[in-house]
Amino acid sequence: MSGAAQPNAPTSKLQPSSDSSDSTKQPPATKPAAAQLDEDDEFEDFPVEDWSKEEEVGAQQQQQQGGNNTHLWEESWDDDDTSDDFSVQLKAELKKMEGGKKG
Amino acid sequence: MATPLLGQFLVQVNGFVQARNETGLADWIALEPPFNEQYGAMIREIQNAYPRGSEDALEKRCSSALKAAVEGDDGSPWTAFIKFMAQYLAYLRDVSADVNRYLDTYALLSELQQRANSALSHSTLGHLMLPVVVANAKLVCRLAIGLDKQPELIAHLKRSGGGGGGGGGDEGGARETLPERAANILRQAFVTCLNDRVSSLSAAGKPEGKKRGIYIIANLCLKILFQCRKTRNATQIFENIYNLSPPLLAYPKRERVTYLYYLGRFLFQNSHFYRAQLVLQAAYDESPARPECMRQRRRILVYLIASNMILGRFPSQDLLSRPEAQGLAAKFVPICLAIQRGDLAGFKRHLDIDHGEHAEWFLHFRILMQLRNRCEVLVWRSLVRRVFVLAGQKAQDSGGMTRAATLDIDYLVAAFRKLEDAAAAADDYVDTDFEGVEYGDTGEELHVDQAAVVSKLASLIDQGLLSGFISYKLMKFAVTGTRAKGGDALAAGFPRVWAVLRGRAERNEGSGGEVPGWKKKDGEVGGQKAGPGMVFNFSSMRPVGVVG
Repeated sequence: MSGAAQPNAPTSKLQPSSDSSDSTKQPPATKPAAAQLDEDDEFEDFPVEDWSKEEEVGAQQQQQQGGNNTHLWEESWDDDDTSDDFSVQLKAELKKMEGGKKG
Repeated sequence: MATPLLGQFLVQVNGFVQARNETGLADWIALEPPFNEQYGAMIREIQNAYPRGSEDALEKRCSSALKAAVEGDDGSPWTAFIKFMAQYLAYLRDVSADVNRYLDTYALLSELQQRANSALSHSTLGHLMLPVVVANAKLVCRLAIGLDKQPELIAHLKRSGGGGGGGGGDEGGARETLPERAANILRQAFVTCLNDRVSSLSAAGKPEGKKRGIYIIANLCLKILFQCRKTRNATQIFENIYNLSPPLLAYPKRERVTYLYYLGRFLFQNSHFYRAQLVLQAAYDESPARPECMRQRRRILVYLIASNMILGRFPSQDLLSRPEAQGLAAKFVPICLAIQRGDLAGFKRHLDIDHGEHAEWFLHFRILMQLRNRCEVLVWRSLVRRVFVLAGQKAQDSGGMTRAATLDIDYLVAAFRKLEDAAAAADDYVDTDFEGVEYGDTGEELHVDQAAVVSKLASLIDQGLLSGFISYKLMKFAVTGTRAKGGDALAAGFPRVWAVLRGRAERNEGSGGEVPGWKKKDGEVGGQKAGPGMVFNFSSMRPVGVVG
């Protein structure tokens, strides 16, 4: 069913008033800065009434990958590389502790 | 005095009722000022002929004109509709075109809503009111939120004991705020739609009659509750839907996606992160990829990413480069990196309430505390793993027996201490009482650190994030299951976080894929046939996911 009433053209004298649209804001024409994007707290009404399966985010993903789901999530991110700064500093700290223990 | 326009108007309305013309009725019940000139002229008639105080006369006028309503249906008159129409005409008469008279307009609209709700409840004719109820509800919603954002406009109400009308009494404890009250009024309409015995699904599987209104009205209630941060009251809505609603799939996409967004956020807020992730993923997948819907996708995505990170799954580069993910990498990726490395200092810095660069942003979305509290455990786990890589002792095979791979707990103490100090140092504040005090390195301090580390270890083992045990005698953490992993102690001792947490969630929640609030199959609740007296109690769900 439709949300906002769509005025018909009645034949009698009284015309129905035009109802204003659902959403309170129009999306900006240009790409908004990220900060502006997140200003509001509201989940605004969808500006479209309906959309086809092909237009869905999930369906488009599948299309792009020729049937395989686009890789959205990293489940295996453990990193054994210890050459980064963090690991180097950590290793130094551990060595210090060893030295302290032996002393 | 003659009121020809009013007369014509009522004749029209009566005609719609007679013909059971729902759309016609909706078109003619204009609600939002300013009104066009035809309405303006009629309003002036009402103001002259039926000024304030003559509501009884107005109702009599409606009764005499709306014969179809008086007659009603099947011997049941539709008196509530006549009362609604009388209220509506008074509304037209009194409502100001001044958009700044928010509070007055809100008060009039919420009274009108209650009359509309009553008219809605007629068993066979009520459905004719559905579009009007929904249109009215949208306005009530918008105004309630607007007023909540400008508390000075309603400050005086708090002092004088709350706004008008009946409906939804408070529990005698905290007084109901204006938005809560608005949501409660709308909820009455929601319940009417939900409980409707007359309508069901059409042959094509689409909801009919009042049942069409379930999600659209629920979404308006949820919008108010979330906007005004009173989401506790949402529990009942989700419970009711889970128990009584037709399947969500029967409803239009825009209602489904919106509803799942709110359900996902509600689950997130109540720490049911695995379910939140399921729901939000469904919402995201079904949302339109159109550029004009970017804001909606973004909102869903923020919570979807947060839920997944808490469960040990990171957003991929692909995901973060989508238009709706603008700027999200800068916010989330540092957390992912910190979790990956075990960088406790970096983690705490990034999410520090006072100093974190994006703290305000996380707070705005109300995800800061959950990320801080839940992801920290994952950082511990990775730190232990990294120290193990750097300083662990390999498993040893000798004489047919395998000695477990171990890690001296002292290494962990050193690591944790270093990072916690680094995190604290980032916060420049030193209490003046303690300024310049030299603590030195007492044996007692070491003891305290060790207990804290052992406690963390025990917690990680308990949650399944580490696989092993603590040898208190040797003060070592020992890995179990190395042989089963083909000698890979690292894989054995440090299973993948997502696999562990997902497994736990699925085990805890039983019956595959059921999410309270998400009605999938008709007539079934939690895999069992729903019957009279069977109620799913939302609040009895145990929290799932990482504990401690």
